[in-house]
This record gives sequence, C-alpha cells and structure tokens, in this order.
Amino acid sequence: MQLIIENLSKTYSNGVQALKNVSLTLNQGMFGLLGPNGAGKSTLMRTIATLQEPDEGTIHFNSIDVLKQKDEIRKILGYLPQEFGVYPKISAETLLDHLATLKGISNAKERKELIKALLNKTNLFDSRRKNLGGYSGGMKQRFGIAQALLNNPHLIIVDEPTAGLDPAERNRFLNLLSEIGENSVVILSTHIVDDVKELCTDMAIINNGEVLMRGNPMEAIFSLEGRIWSKRIGKPQMADYKKNFKVVSEKMISGKPEIHIYSETPPGEDFIPAMVDLEDVYFSNIFLKN
Amino acid sequence: MSFQNFKSMFWNILKFEINYRRKRPATYIYFGIFFLLAFLAVTTDVVKIGGSSGQLKENAPTSITFMMLVLSSFFVMITSAIMGVPVLRDFEQQTESIMFINPIKKRDYLFGRFFGSFIVLIFVFSGSFLGFVLGEFMPWREADKLMPFSLWNYLQPFLFYVVPNLFFSGALFFAAGTLSRKMITVYAQGIVILMIYMVAANLISTIDNRIIAGLIDPFGINTVSIYTRYWTMAEKNTQVVPLAGIVLANRSLWFSVGIIALIITYYRFSFSVIQNSVLKKKRKIIETISIINTDVVIPLATQKFTIANDIKRVVKLAWFYFKNVVKEPAFIVIVFTGIVLLCVNADSFGTMYGTQTFPVTYEMLQLIQTFTLFFLIIVVFFSGELIWKERNLKTDQIFDALPVNNAVTLAGKFFSLVFIYIVLIFVLIFISVIIQTIKGYHNYELGLYFKTLFSETFLMIILYTLLAFFIQVLVNHKFLGYALMIVFFIASAVISNLGVEHRLFHFSSGSMGTYSDMNGYGHYIRPFIWFSIYWVAFACVLFAVAILFSVRGMDTVFRKRWKLAKIRFVRPVMIFMFSCLAVFILSGSYIFYNTNVLNKFENSKNEEKKQAEYEKQLKKYQFTLQPKITDTRLKVDIFPEERYFVAEGYYILKNKNQKPLTEIHIQLNSDFQSYCDYLTFSRPAKLKEKFDKFYYNIYQLEQPLQSGDTLKMNFKIRFVTKGFVNSGSNTNIVYNGTFFNNLSYLPTLGYSADAELSADDKRKENGLKEKERMMDRNNPVGLSQCLLGDDADRINFEIILSTSKDQIAVAPGYLQKEWTENDRRFFHYKMDATILNFYSVLSAHYKVLRDKWNDINLEIYYQKGHEYNIHSMITAMKKSFEYYTKNFCPYPYRQLRILEFPRYESFAQSFANTIPFSEGIGFIMDVGNEDVDMGFYVTCHEIAHQWWAHQVTDANVKGNGMISEALSQYSALMVMKHTYSQELMQKFLKHEMDSYLFGRSMERKKEMPLEMCENQGYIHYNKGSVVFFALQDYISEDSVNLALKRFAKDWAFREDRYPNSADLLRYLEAVTPDSLKNIITDMFKTITLFENKTEKVKSEKQAASKYNVTIDVSAKKYRADSLGNEKPLLVINDWIDIGVYGKDVKGKDKLLYLKKHKINKSQMTFTVTVAEKPLKAGIDPLNKLVDRTPDDNVKSVD
Repeated sequence: MQLIIENLSKTYSNGVQALKNVSLTLNQGMFGLLGPNGAGKSTLMRTIATLQEPDEGTIHFNSIDVLKQKDEIRKILGYLPQEFGVYPKISAETLLDHLATLKGISNAKERKELIKALLNKTNLFDSRRKNLGGYSGGMKQRFGIAQALLNNPHLIIVDEPTAGLDPAERNRFLNLLSEIGENSVVILSTHIVDDVKELCTDMAIINNGEVLMRGNPMEAIFSLEGRIWSKRIGKPQMADYKKNFKVVSEKMISGKPEIHIYSETPPGEDFIPAMVDLEDVYFSNIFLKN
Repeated sequence: MSFQNFKSMFWNILKFEINYRRKRPATYIYFGIFFLLAFLAVTTDVVKIGGSSGQLKENAPTSITFMMLVLSSFFVMITSAIMGVPVLRDFEQQTESIMFINPIKKRDYLFGRFFGSFIVLIFVFSGSFLGFVLGEFMPWREADKLMPFSLWNYLQPFLFYVVPNLFFSGALFFAAGTLSRKMITVYAQGIVILMIYMVAANLISTIDNRIIAGLIDPFGINTVSIYTRYWTMAEKNTQVVPLAGIVLANRSLWFSVGIIALIITYYRFSFSVIQNSVLKKKRKIIETISIINTDVVIPLATQKFTIANDIKRVVKLAWFYFKNVVKEPAFIVIVFTGIVLLCVNADSFGTMYGTQTFPVTYEMLQLIQTFTLFFLIIVVFFSGELIWKERNLKTDQIFDALPVNNAVTLAGKFFSLVFIYIVLIFVLIFISVIIQTIKGYHNYELGLYFKTLFSETFLMIILYTLLAFFIQVLVNHKFLGYALMIVFFIASAVISNLGVEHRLFHFSSGSMGTYSDMNGYGHYIRPFIWFSIYWVAFACVLFAVAILFSVRGMDTVFRKRWKLAKIRFVRPVMIFMFSCLAVFILSGSYIFYNTNVLNKFENSKNEEKKQAEYEKQLKKYQFTLQPKITDTRLKVDIFPEERYFVAEGYYILKNKNQKPLTEIHIQLNSDFQSYCDYLTFSRPAKLKEKFDKFYYNIYQLEQPLQSGDTLKMNFKIRFVTKGFVNSGSNTNIVYNGTFFNNLSYLPTLGYSADAELSADDKRKENGLKEKERMMDRNNPVGLSQCLLGDDADRINFEIILSTSKDQIAVAPGYLQKEWTENDRRFFHYKMDATILNFYSVLSAHYKVLRDKWNDINLEIYYQKGHEYNIHSMITAMKKSFEYYTKNFCPYPYRQLRILEFPRYESFAQSFANTIPFSEGIGFIMDVGNEDVDMGFYVTCHEIAHQWWAHQVTDANVKGNGMISEALSQYSALMVMKHTYSQELMQKFLKHEMDSYLFGRSMERKKEMPLEMCENQGYIHYNKGSVVFFALQDYISEDSVNLALKRFAKDWAFREDRYPNSADLLRYLEAVTPDSLKNIITDMFKTITLFENKTEKVKSEKQAASKYNVTIDVSAKKYRADSLGNEKPLLVINDWIDIGVYGKDVKGKDKLLYLKKHKINKSQMTFTVTVAEKPLKAGIDPLNKLVDRTPDDNVKSVD
C-alpha cells in the first residue's frame, strides 16, 4: 500500500504558488504533514482527496491514478476536511446513514451495524439522535472521523483535525486516530507539532509549497541533538539576539522570553543545551531554510 | 448624551452605510437595471411595461405612474436585498461583537443604518425616474404620441407612489432582517407582500370588493387603477393621480405599516450578542462520558457500485433533499401563501355580472394556475438552494470526496424537486376537490386534474428546473443564477416583441390550449407532445452539460472546469447527450415540417404588412359595383376527426344595380388551409386578374350582366387540416363542436374592408392613413347595405350537411330529412322565408332538449353534463317570445334553436332561427336567487336579435349598433324586468354602468354618442342598457314599445334602404313628451354625464307614521367630447329621482319614496313626507343616470 506523489505543482489564479514540485512517497501507517498555516498542506490534501486539480504532477495510490480515476480513489478514501459544516437539523445517525449509502454501502443491515460500531467507537452513540447543529467542536470532529471511516478506507486524509479543540478533546481525538492508522495510509496534516510527535512514524515538513524535510520524527530529533541551545533573555535584547544568532524559536515563560538557537558549536553567552524537541526540528526547518 | 452627540453619531452611521454602499458594484448595477428598463420601455418596443396605444399618450401622467409603480413593485426583491441586510450584515460577517461593544446608542445605530440604506434605495430606484425622463428626449420619440414635457408628471409619481412603496417595504424588510437575522425571513416576507398584491389584483374584478382591493394593495397599483378606472383619455393624458380618496387611504395605511415596523424594530432589537435568534434558543448537548471505546470492532461493509445501486442512490438522495426542502421555512411560506391566494381567489373565479360559474374542473384548473407563479418561485429558489446546499453548509468537501458520480448527485437533487412538485400537485388537487365540495359540486373529474397538471403544468416546471440547474451550475454564483433566471423570464416575454414568434425559440412552449368540456384538449394534444419532446430533449442536453461542468471541490476557474468536463465526458454521458441532441434536432425538424412546410408560418409584422398591401393594391375596387347573392344552396361535408370539410354548391347572383356589370370580384378565404377546387359561372366568363397573395380573383363576363339579370356561381371549397401550426390554430373546425359561418370560409364578393388593418398605429407603421371605423351615418353606400355588408340583401337558403355518425350537424332552416349513408349522418335543412346572408354550420355530439312556445319549436343542443342552465334558457326563450311578439312584431320562423359550442370563444351569436352559444358564458352558471342569470340574459338578448337585425336590419353605418345591439339589450332588459326583482335589475345595471364607464376610459380612438357608435361594445351594449332602461323609466315602457312597434312595422325586411339611428330616434322622439325631449339629446345624441350628490339628509318625526325628510342635493351635468374632455352645462333642467329608503321586516333596504323632481339649480333642497322611519335618502338613488361617482347619490339620515 503506497501513495506516490510526484512533482506536484499548483499555482492559484491570484499568483500564489501553493505547491512547488512536491514529491512524496507514503507507506502504510500514520504520516504527519507538518507546516505553518498557508504552507500548502491543505492544497496537497485536497489534491489527493480529488477536490483540486494540480497544474502539474501525478499522484498514484497503488495502481490508481488519483488525478484521472477520481471515482476509484473516492471509493477507498476517507477524508476529514480542515473545516466542515454539517446539516444542522439532521441527527448524526441519519447523516451517517446517508453518507454510507453514498459511499456505496447498499445493504441496510450492514449499514446499520457499521454505523452503530462507528458511533460507539467515536463515543457518539448516546447523542446519535441529536441534531448535529447542537454538537460541540470535539463531537463534530469525531463525527467527521466517523464519516471518514464509513467505507473502511485504505487512504485516510485528516486535515488539521485538532485545530480549535480543547486539550481534553484533542487527546481523545488523537487516541481515536492512533487506532485507525494501522491498516491504511493515513495522512495527518497539522501545524501542531505535538500531534505528529505523538502519532506519526513518518513525517514531512512543508512550507511555502515545498517539502523542507522528511523522515522519522525521532531520527529528526536525534539529528539535531547538541545543536539547539536555549536562554532566557529580556525583551529589549530580542532584536540583538535575532541579529547575532540563528534563532529557531522564542516563547514566553512566565512573561520572559526564552529563545532556542541553532548552533553547531556552543554559542557561549550563557546559552545552555536544550532538550531537543520535534518543535525545534520544525522551527529550524521553517526559519532556517527561508 | 447631548443632541449634538446624537446627531453626529447618527450621521456617522448613516454616512458609513452610504459609503459602504457607494463602494459596492451592486448599487450601480441595480441603478443601471432601473435606468435601462425605464429607458427602453419608453424608447423601444423591446421592453413593455403597461404601455399606451391610440389616443393615450406615451407620457400620459397615469401611464408614467403605472410604469413606475410596476417597476417599483416588480423589483421589490432589490428592495429586500438592500433593506434586509444593514444589520444582518454585521451578524453574518460576525462583526457584531466588534460593532456592539462600541458605545453606540441603539437609536443611532438602527436609524442610521435604516436611513443610510433608505437613501441608497431611493438612489437606486431613481434610475427609473431618470430613465423615463431622459427617454422622453430621445429624437426618435414620435411627437404626436407625446404630451408636452412636464417634470412634475415624473416627479409626482416618484415622490407620492414610489418613495412610499420603498419606505414601507424597506421598513418591513429592515425589521425582518434585523429581528430574525435571517435573509430567508426577508424573502418570505417579500412573498407574502406579493400575495397580498395578487389578492388585491383578483378582488378588483368584483365591483363590491374594489374598496378592499384598493386599500390592501401594498404597492398601490390596483388602488391607482381603481381611482382612475373611469378616467377618460383626456384626463389620463393631462392629470396626475392625486393623493386623494382611496389612494390617500392606501398610502396612509402602508406608510403606517412602515412606521410601525420601525417602531417594533426599535423596541425589539437588542445589542446583546449572545441572543442568537429572537425565536429560538439553541440547545447544546452536554457530554458526560469521555472514554474512547477501543474494544469496538468496526465491521467491514461491502460497497457496491452498480448501475442499479446508482439508481437506488438517486432515489435515496432525492428523498434526503426532499425532506430537507419541505422542512425549510421558506418553502412552507411559499406554499402556504400560494394556497391562501388560491383559496381567496376561489371566491371569484368565473364571475360574470357578479355570478359565479359552478366549480367545474376546468375552472378549478384555471384557479390552480394562480399557483404557477409560486411553482416558478420554488423552481428558481430551490434549484439554487439545492445546487448550493453543501457549499452553503460548508460540508461540500465531505460530499465532494464521496464516490458518487456527478450525475447521481444532480439527478438526486433534481428528483427531490420532482417529488416536491408531485406532492404539491396532489395537494392542489386535494384543495380543489375540497373547494368543489364546499361549493356543493360533486362531479369530481380526478382524471382531468391529473391529465392537465401532470402534463402541461408539470412539464413546464420540470423544464424550468432543468434550466435553473444548468444556469446555477454554469454561472456558479447563486444570486447571479437567480438574477439570470429572472432575466430569462423577462427575455422570453420580450422576444416576441422583437419578432421572434416561432415557438421553436420559446422555451417550454408546449401548450395544451383551452380545455373545453365539449372538445377536451382536442387537437392541442399532438403539438403539445411534440413540443414537449423537443424541449425536454433540449433541457436534458442542458442537464448533461450541467453534469459535466458542475463544480466539485475547490476549482472554480473556468479553465480547470473545462479540463474536468473533458475528463467527465465519458461514454455514457456522451451517449446520453448525443441522443438527447438527436431527439432535439429530429423533433425540432418534425415540428418545423408541421408548422412551416405542411402549414404556413408568418410572424405578425409580416401579416400586418400583407394586410396593408392588400389595402394598397385593392382598395380601388372597394366601390366597384357587384351583383348580390339572392339564393344559396350548399352541400357541406364535415369530417370532424380530420378537422376537414368540403363545401360545394352555388350562389345565384343578381345584378341589382342600374348599370350592367362586366366584372365579378371574388374574395376567397385567405387562410392557407382553404382551397378552392373550382369556381365557375353559368355564363361565359374568364379570369381577368388574379391576386394570389390575397386570394382575390377578378372575372370578366363575356356578356355584361344586365340590370335585374341573374347568373349562377358554382364553387367547391375545401378546408384542410394538415399536421399542426405554430400558433393560432383553428378552433372552428374541431373534433367535437365545429362552428363556423359563411363570411369567414366561403367566397365573398368584392373588396373586403374588414380585412384592412384597423389599429391606427399599425396603419402608420405600414404607411397608411388613419381609418374611419365606419361609414358616415348618412352615407348612401352604407345605407344601401345591411350591417353584414354589400354581398346580399336577403337570400333563400338550403343546405345539406353531413358529419360523422355520432354527431349532429345543424344550420339555419328547418330539418327536411335526416339519413345515414356510408356510415355518415346527413341532414337537409331548408328555410322557407328569406334570411340574411349569414349562416352558421355546427356539428357536435349533442344532447337535445325540446319544448314548445305556441307553435314554435324550441330546442337546446347541449353538451351532456351541462344541464344546469338549460331550463332557465327555455324559460328565457318563452318569455322573450311572449314579450317580443306582443310588443314588437311576429316571429318570422317556426323554430328556434340554441346550440352550445366550445369555449374557445365567449359569445353567443344570432343566426336565423339558430343561436350558437359558447359553453363558457351561460351553461355552467351557479345561479342563486339573488344572482344575475347570465344564460337567461344572453338568451333574451340573442332572441331579440331575431327581431333587431334579422327583421329590422340596420344599415352598415355609424350608429347601427344602437339598433341591432342596444335594442336587443333593451328587449332583454324588459324580459328580465318582468321576471326579476328590482334589486337584481339594479345589480345588473350597476355592472352595465361600470362596464360603460370603464370601457370609455379604455377607448383607443374616440368615444361616440350612442347614436353614432362605431361598433364599440361598451357603448352599444353597456351604455345601451343604461340609457334605454332610463328611457323607459322616463317615458314609460309602453311608449318605448309603441315606438319600436311602429319602427318595426315600417322598417322590417326592407331591402331598398336600411335604417340608421336617426330613423330610430324619430320614432322615439315621437313618443317623448316635449318636457322630456332633452333626455333624447342627453342619452343618444351626446355624451352626457351627471355628478349627482346628496349633501345632507335630515328627518323629523311629525306623528306616529309621518316623517318629514329634508334632503340637500347638488346636481351637475357635463358634456364630454370624444376624448373625454368635460364641459359643465350651465343650465340644468332635468327631472331626477328623489328617493327615501327605510328597512323592511327582513332588514333589507326598502324604498319608501321615489319620485322625479325637477332639478333646475345646482344646489337644491327637497322635503318629502314618508310613513315609515327613513334611514337613507338621496338623488337618483337607483343610478339611472350616467354618473361617475354613483356611491355618493344616497346618504344616511343624520
């Protein structure tokens, strides 16, 4: 089971180049696609999900030419878009049944059991008869994953699923995701580094339409070991540091900025070695390669 | 907060609103739409709004008012788009939290937004004002169709009519948008307003409902037409419609509605952001469990993607969307308002003289047509909604990534609407049946309901749905799609004006024509089926294109859609599309073959041109002397099922002139369906000149026909129906209910002035001078011929008819013999007295009711099921014979027949002893005790023609209608007067008065006095009734009858000279006392109107049964010229009724006193004594005199 993306390029009519010659090969399992907002993640996701035409390039899933045999790929696709609405006055059960029918599951009994299982799985069973309009963000997101799983998909695309969820909901959702990634190719796009860290065995970092890095998250962290340094500084000095060091990230801790810098040798000036995190991988790729 | 502060805040918000709108292109587009429509409406024929003709000038203030009103109400959706959103916008763009935390006062915010938008709204609508004004100065406007320019004529309607409309509708939309925060509420409200307008438009047809209609019309269109209903051309051309009377009441009412809406908005509106909706609070679901069930195993379900499964999915989708749509509040509102409208209208369909027809199925079907507009609203609105459903809910990405073919999705959406239409049609039928039941009618023809609604109506909405899908998909912008649909509707209506008249170019042009109980849908069904195939195929091609281009996913650039379309253009789509295209082309060709090859197609401009050419080339022969027909013998074989007949026979022509004749001019039927197989003369003659284009042949006799000599003209005419025509298909020769007369189908002699173009503007376009409608009253040529023309005086007549086995064929004369031969029925009719050269041929599957009056056989040939009114017709026949023979002269024939014919036409016509009578005007009337009986009245009128026209035959000159028509009205009125109550007569005359006053306001050319009327129905029928009824009231019925008896004695059956109105007036004057001579002048010789009014009524009780009633009246008298310019008469010296009303035991009005008093001053006071308690009193209380405000004649006692 393999998804092969080759030389994918896309430029929007307003001149924004969303994808620049992207090539990726994805194998079975959870693949994390990490990048800031506007990096081209959603464009890539939608293109794989048959919702957008690239200007150039090809996508193949096993023997299916995704760009030409759209209906073939749709049959085995589970897609959870970044933002989606629902029919507000319809219950989860009804809409799932409707979607299952559209996904070709014609046997009513099968459908019923499947939906029951999915509702249980996503812990929506108790609210299955409630109108979707009343669902919270997390419930809606879980409903989204339930609908994506209706056809036992071989290719699952989840686009920014945790954005806007509170920590508890996010945890719940990630647990759910981790379970489904076993027998299919799952692409998880996110700008939250922790999502990838917690779930993925393989990942790519993408920015400005380009793949900046790809590989195993752990290996990526390992490769940065000893090159990331941190220091707490005063706000006024920030500009100086930015000029003099390769600042990978900055965050406030108790109102005071702490910066991480990239340096192959100890930078001195009271910098101490940092515990390398995937975040450092991410930021070093985003900021340093620009 | 200081006033200064308020002011600046208010102004800031107002300015903000205006500035916001100023930057939006929509503002200018709307403005442009109005400007263009107004400009084009007055400068071209492309757009027609109301419009003018004849003497009504194009820039008459009333026309301007109407055009502005129509524009401002038709485009109420633009008002809703501008006024519904000012506050809504803040919510939709979710800027409300930012807006509302600012320290703004509610008052400033709301009214700032409202008035800011309102100013923009006025700007937008001022486009029409500018368009009209600018249009007036275009160099190609014709000066003789214009009044001198007056800015006020444009400004007044804009300020007094358009702006108030904008205000009240704007306020309502603003309130709805602000309080509900949903655009859909705004639209729903628009539909309700539209419904109220339609209710008003329907109520206006009934005299007694006009006040309500005038009040409730939100736009004031009906109000203005009620106010100006009796305005003459002169008034329409010169006067603006003032804010007075009903107009003022209407404007005030709706202005108040606007104010109230604003007040409610102010009090109900709250800045609070949490409040989501005024109506509902949303409930959030609270979850309790938060563990993920890891132990659940998701079963594997099988996916099937077969064609059978696709069909199943289409059905599923359709059902899904069906449920979705029917739950939409907008849908419920549209359906509900449509149904309310239908029920309201159920009270007035088929009304004639205030009497309704029975709710027969075709009347109900016509009533259901009211709902068509609502169907179209549903089509346009919900096609857009469904196409955009997923995208509006932002769930499109989920749905677009599903393994569902575009065709399946679109078909699902399409069929959901189809289901909705089917359900709605069932609902409509159900409601109709309920209405029928409530009205006590139980002949439920469910088959006919289904046949009609599931063919014509259903196909129409389905075709428009497919079109709407196509447009919505292609333009990929919901509101642009709506706008384009509306543009399409307008364009469809307009292209005929541009000369595109072939139905192959008119979308959804299949029509089943008029339903007749006699002929069903007759021959309309075949062309309907072909046009349906043609348009369905076309719409399917559109649908296929929609499938190819429907947007799926994020790509909306056309280049990408084109690329996708190419990928989607797979074999099944290709096959579907090309087969539809093939069906479209083939059916189109077949239609073309029928309409243009088998038949002739000519657009109306060409027809008019041909008519003009006829006149230009042949007018010179108009007075070429011709012989006259003295005998006609015919054999006419009718083949109803083929809509074919052959007429073979001869005329005997006699030279009644002093001079010998050498040429005979024959005018054949110029219809292309008519063929002349031969036409020969018993004397040697040759064809001298032939005008093929006009079917006009000139024969030269070798030997001149001497004065008094005769010759025989033999001919054979065939009328052939092949295939079907584009429009105007022949409804005379039909499967069941054939009815035609000789003048339209058989050869006539000489040039026919009737075939000339008559409308003056059309004549001008074709380079002809204006035409007098009739010959002058004393024109000797006119006096020498009867009303039917110069082909004959009276003739001997004999005819043999044959028709199919199941039909009865009838023509004037008595049945000599009836037999069957070759499976066809034959009838031989012969008249033993002479008749006019005007005879009918009828053939239908009849039932016959027979009766007798003295020695005269009475027969009614009617359609089975139409038994309702035939017995009252028989009564009318007997009473008419009774009255006419006693008071005028004997009946010259031994038999009288009434024959029903299909309702393609709505008239009855008197031929010698034979009266064809349309099924639409008197066979299905639901006549109660207090109702005017249309069938009775028409029967009396037509029988009277057996005297007035068939015995006393009027000359072919101005004023002849006073003899044949007005006297027939008089005769009928007298029979009715002796049959019905006074109230009923008054009711009838009230309608006659209304029709006369309305008729003169619609006069295109010039109103004539009764004695000079030029075939003007509102004069010879309606004014005739009013005037003659008043005459007999003044000089007594016996005197009028005496005059008519003498008149008939002197003028019946004369052939040397035919009588004109002056002749008749001499007899009437002879029986009129000198003291009343002036009424002859007022009633017949001039256009005289009264303005009688009761100012004050006082009553004093003198004794137990003695009351003195003092009545202050004013009376004015006017003379009007032919355009309606009125001049008051300085001297008034008339006898006019003064009357006093009390109440009888039943509580009804009862006349306590009625007597004519001499009125010789414009203000007078009368005191009369009555024995009972007086309640009302007044001048001319029974409205015998022509008075434009009849309602102020009577006043209640103070």
